[in-house]
Amino acid sequence: MTGFLDHLLNGLALGAVYALVALGFVVIFKASGVLNFAHGSLLLLGGYLTAVLHDDLGFVGALAAAVVVTALVAGAMDRLLLRGGDRDPRAAHVQTIVTIGVDIVLVTDLARRIGGDLLTTGDPWGDSVTRLGSVTVADSRLAAIAVSAVVIGAVFALFRYTAWGLSLRAASEDLEAAALMGVRLTRVRMLAWCLAGALAALAAVFLAAFPAPGLERTTGQIALKAFPAAILGGMASPPGALAGSLLIGLTEALVAGYQSELHVLGEGFGDVAPYAVMVLVLLVRPTGLFGAKGAVRV
Amino acid sequence: MNTSRTSKTLLASALAALLIAGTGCSSKAEEDKPADAADGVRTGPGVTDDRIRLGALTDLTGPYATLGKSIVQAQQMWADETNAAGGICGRKVEIVVEDHGYDVQKAVTAYADLSTDVVALPQVIGSPVVAALIDDIERDQLLTFPQAWAASLLGKDPVQVLGTTYDVDMIAAVDFLTRTKGLKKGDTIGHVYFEGDYGANALEGSTWAAERAGLKIVDQKIKATDTDLSAQVSALREAGVKAVLISAGPAQTASLAGVAASRGLQVPIVSSAPGFAPQLMKTPAAKALEAMLHVVSAAPAVSSDLPGVKKMVASYEKKFPGSPVDSGVLSGYNAAQLLGADLKKACEAGSLTREDVVKTHRSQKNADTGLGTPQNFSDVNRPASVSTYVLKPDAKAVGGIVVAEEAHVAPGIEEYLNS
Repeated sequence: MTGFLDHLLNGLALGAVYALVALGFVVIFKASGVLNFAHGSLLLLGGYLTAVLHDDLGFVGALAAAVVVTALVAGAMDRLLLRGGDRDPRAAHVQTIVTIGVDIVLVTDLARRIGGDLLTTGDPWGDSVTRLGSVTVADSRLAAIAVSAVVIGAVFALFRYTAWGLSLRAASEDLEAAALMGVRLTRVRMLAWCLAGALAALAAVFLAAFPAPGLERTTGQIALKAFPAAILGGMASPPGALAGSLLIGLTEALVAGYQSELHVLGEGFGDVAPYAVMVLVLLVRPTGLFGAKGAVRV
Repeated sequence: MNTSRTSKTLLASALAALLIAGTGCSSKAEEDKPADAADGVRTGPGVTDDRIRLGALTDLTGPYATLGKSIVQAQQMWADETNAAGGICGRKVEIVVEDHGYDVQKAVTAYADLSTDVVALPQVIGSPVVAALIDDIERDQLLTFPQAWAASLLGKDPVQVLGTTYDVDMIAAVDFLTRTKGLKKGDTIGHVYFEGDYGANALEGSTWAAERAGLKIVDQKIKATDTDLSAQVSALREAGVKAVLISAGPAQTASLAGVAASRGLQVPIVSSAPGFAPQLMKTPAAKALEAMLHVVSAAPAVSSDLPGVKKMVASYEKKFPGSPVDSGVLSGYNAAQLLGADLKKACEAGSLTREDVVKTHRSQKNADTGLGTPQNFSDVNRPASVSTYVLKPDAKAVGGIVVAEEAHVAPGIEEYLNS
């Protein structure tokens, strides 16, 4: 039983961090119809900045700086490289491919800088743990759950109660109608990209924190695990991203935890498990857990 | 008739390309024939009257960039030292370095480019790279020292795995646990390992040794991108393991030790040699590593008292101040020295052709560079050495690690190799 609770908490914590990443995917997709393949490298950029700045600025200062800079880079990416798609919805496909290029450039440069090092972000949790009955959980993981809950709540509120959120939702429903109603698509889009960048930088800190040994050049690849989460949640649905992330996090932790019992399913089942879950969900609900039903008038 | 003109142009250019390629080949073939140099030494590709060219297929931009840089620098240092002392066979030594970034496709291209004009490869990084090139290397008879230690690389004349293979290391690791950590019949040990040749070969060794000692192995397969081993640690604790073996990268070792310590799984951990890097001693897991980890390795620690190692470390630190002194420095320098000895001997026998360099290499039964234990290259199906050191992390030491047990042959290894 202890084992099961352990796995459950691991999974929840992992899911909470994935949710920050998946939410970034979703926000960008909603605002611009682009699947951002450069999200992993934005995450790596955020983590790298926190790691190199924390000596001078302290952890909180470094994190704040990293969040701002990553947000600006993401926003600039949208403004400078992905222009021209505001009017033509088909451009989103081209821009999706552009993000792959941006990802390669960013990752190559960051990997060169990081080299083979394991960078620490100077986070305040260190390797301390909290005991909850018979279960032990790393403080950094508890912090991840708490911070993710607060941030995700704030983002949801942003969607629901602000003019920008309304504009974003309008734009994702119908680009043309939104423009006609006076929604400034460019600004809505750019802010969405900035928000996604900020979330990625935040997630990086938790992905590099204690149970992991630090930030490495490959940390960005973890963002790919949030991909199935965003897709099975329904790509354009923030609550879907949250539910999908928790599902993927739990799947991963349970499959890794019960690896020896799952040997019948073949070696390395842990790697495919998130995708297997995604396929299963999509088989039952082709638009994802919370995806919009594509109503087409005939 | 636009299309037919296009296809004619295409045909013509294809023919021209073939012609050029054809002449290129034929002129090269003549160049490659062994010939006697002015000093009477038979030479082949890579050797001229005044220089010997060696090649390195390394990773300077991919996941093993740190290791690659260490090996390149260490071997360059050897080349400089050798040349300062007059070179080999009256010729200057030159190492051509090609970076493949751990991309097999790039490595194949780089090999094609490199292989025509070198006599041996003192460095090839990456098991998948070596696996992709092994047939070409055999055809070209290009003496190669891979920086990979899977037993599957044995059995090819020109490919020389230096030191022990991963399975032998893990047999020694199980022996270390039963001998010093009180593990006994019926106990369970975990083995966390990377997918691929490295992990599979290590698991082969640990499984064999565990069976021999009456232990049970619980295995946990992971990927290079798994850096948070919380779930694995939970599962190992559930299984009631008394010790854990790990055959992965440094990041995974750090996570394993850190998580295990924080969850009260205070058991000894023994890692394969590639699972440790000096950088780990700067992470939050350093304390846990010092308390729990041992590393089994065919090479001594760089902080070892061996005079050869001390001298090398001193020159390396002088030549490359600020570069970490890791196991790559030692293994790279060692490989270069062994190759240097092969070349010297081949020269004395009067031939520096690739085939003769390989033959000379295989005739060495007790090659000792003073950087560890002597190696025997005469049996192509056996690891060059079977004795292993046990090392222990120590943040204060050079390279972050010290020798805990001197080199010895673990019991059972002969039995394993003959089985």
